[in-house]
Amino acid sequence: MKVAIFPPNSMILADLVERRGHEPLVMQRQIRKKVTSAEIDSPPLNITEKEPIEGLKYAAIEVPSGVRGRMALFGPLIEEADAAIIMEDAPFGFGCVGCARTNELCMFNIRKRNIPVLEVTYPTSSEETMELVNKINEFLDSLEDKNG
Amino acid sequence: MSPPKNPESSPKNPESGKEYTPKAGHDKSPETGKNNSNIAETGCLIPQSEPAEKDGKITRMIILGPSAEISNTELVRNLHMMEFPLTIKTTCYGAAISGEKEDVDEAIKRIRKLDPYNIFTKDRGFPPGDPRRCRAKRGGAREGFHQLEKEFELLDDVSKALKNPRKVKVKKVEKISPEEFKKIARECK
Repeated sequence: MKVAIFPPNSMILADLVERRGHEPLVMQRQIRKKVTSAEIDSPPLNITEKEPIEGLKYAAIEVPSGVRGRMALFGPLIEEADAAIIMEDAPFGFGCVGCARTNELCMFNIRKRNIPVLEVTYPTSSEETMELVNKINEFLDSLEDKNG
Repeated sequence: MSPPKNPESSPKNPESGKEYTPKAGHDKSPETGKNNSNIAETGCLIPQSEPAEKDGKITRMIILGPSAEISNTELVRNLHMMEFPLTIKTTCYGAAISGEKEDVDEAIKRIRKLDPYNIFTKDRGFPPGDPRRCRAKRGGAREGFHQLEKEFELLDDVSKALKNPRKVKVKKVEKISPEEFKKIARECK
């Protein structure tokens, strides 16, 4: 099953999903398409004027172009997902996941899709981390059961 | 990028076989007005990204947990001994490997067996040593490293949990009633 993760570039979530035999839908895959495409010859401009236009599918024209540009990358992942894991209050927010409003919009879109979603919070202690891992594994195993 | 020579006769690009996606404002496409996924509610033509399945060359990071039983050197030596056509780069967290998807996936599968609970992997968008991200060229750590650094703090506990799995109950999130919502809204005033 294709599992969307949030934050979409989290190593722990992607690794756990993969260990249970599912496919994590990660941001890096979208980024790879942008940075290895032959069209891009000006390195820092990975996001071109096309992305905010693509983002119109997910956000209105009044929404800042930064949000729409990011949604052009996150949106297809959310649409492709059969299930999702959301980790709230993650302290990291670098690069593509550095926009709080986009993150809210992504979570809204995931919840709106009516797919199985596991919502957890970022662990702050050893005990919480272990519980988080067990919860994620339990959730991923239950997906397998549903999938037959 | 030049448009296909004859978009009217075929919606597919004859050279690449990919579906023809017209640029915004190009009104000659036979799909215009018919394909709902390409049209926003406002009626604007929205170009869509190509599907992500066709990966070709991919890059993956192999991260050793704090309690790993092997060192970076051992990890890289093992990767070399597999003799896959891969680009292998030693890094402070483990290694970065790049190559065809099948080779990378097989290498990851085999390398995990060395220490299943302490070897973690992550996809990476940029190829190893890419001047846009490599700190040798641009100075300072790349953005992804800060995140990796933060997540690395949890890896010890993650590997402990993987070693000793426990049954837990996953609480299903349910919708709240309108009365409860009204109560919360009143409290937030």
